[in-house]
Amino acid sequence: MKSKRILVAVLCVALGIALMSCASNKEPAAAAIKTAEDALNAVKGEAMKYVPDKVKAVEDAITAAKGSFDKKDYDTALNTAKAIPDKVKELATAAATKKAELTKGWEELSAGLPKMLDAVKSRLDILSKSKKLPANLDKAKLEGAKSGYEAAVKMWDDAKTHFSGGNLTDAMAKAATVKEKTVEVMKTLGMQVPEAATKG
Amino acid sequence: MAGEEKPKGGGADAWDATQWHVVQKGETLSKISKKYYGDPNLYMKIFEANKDILKNPDLIKVGQKLRIP
Repeated sequence: MKSKRILVAVLCVALGIALMSCASNKEPAAAAIKTAEDALNAVKGEAMKYVPDKVKAVEDAITAAKGSFDKKDYDTALNTAKAIPDKVKELATAAATKKAELTKGWEELSAGLPKMLDAVKSRLDILSKSKKLPANLDKAKLEGAKSGYEAAVKMWDDAKTHFSGGNLTDAMAKAATVKEKTVEVMKTLGMQVPEAATKG
Repeated sequence: MAGEEKPKGGGADAWDATQWHVVQKGETLSKISKKYYGDPNLYMKIFEANKDILKNPDLIKVGQKLRIP
């Protein structure tokens, strides 16, 4: 009987220690979650433009930490939240890398595409004055090429607008479409396509 | 197409969209104009684009590299 009482007492003490220990992590867990949220908010705007999937992964981790906190599982909340700032650093690095990659691609395309569009315009202007058309080109194909050129010019203007607005991802997507369209028109007109435009 | 110069890749010229034609034996500007524009009468367009190397539209040499606007 006596030993049973001792066992109950030991268990109560152990439970108390466990509860105290867990409760003692409440403040650090709350602080760690706030630190994680602040870290994400500092880079989120830029990161969303370039690596939205990675932003979501970090947001999910914060949500998980908050969930543990709400269930009073402060240890798990603390451990989850403490790992987030490192993930935010990785996120910021990934966003910067992606931005640099898109900027380089944009610089290349914005130097090359106007040359292609100018060459196509020059050829279309002359072919429009031609009384006959060259072999492999008929009136329907020529009209298609004109429409394709006009669409490419409009898309290129859109791409430049996106770029001016700081939206590199959409600018590059539009520019890639302009390249494809212009290559298609050049081929229709029997023109030589610059080698750089034939690469991925 | 015979006479067409393939665009050169690499470096700053990889995006050069200038259209070139290397003159073949027996070709005239009119023949070249017909080949690219379908109309031999547009040969002056080619002559105008190559005034830096051509002095006379009737005088072109085999191997000359001409811009085709």
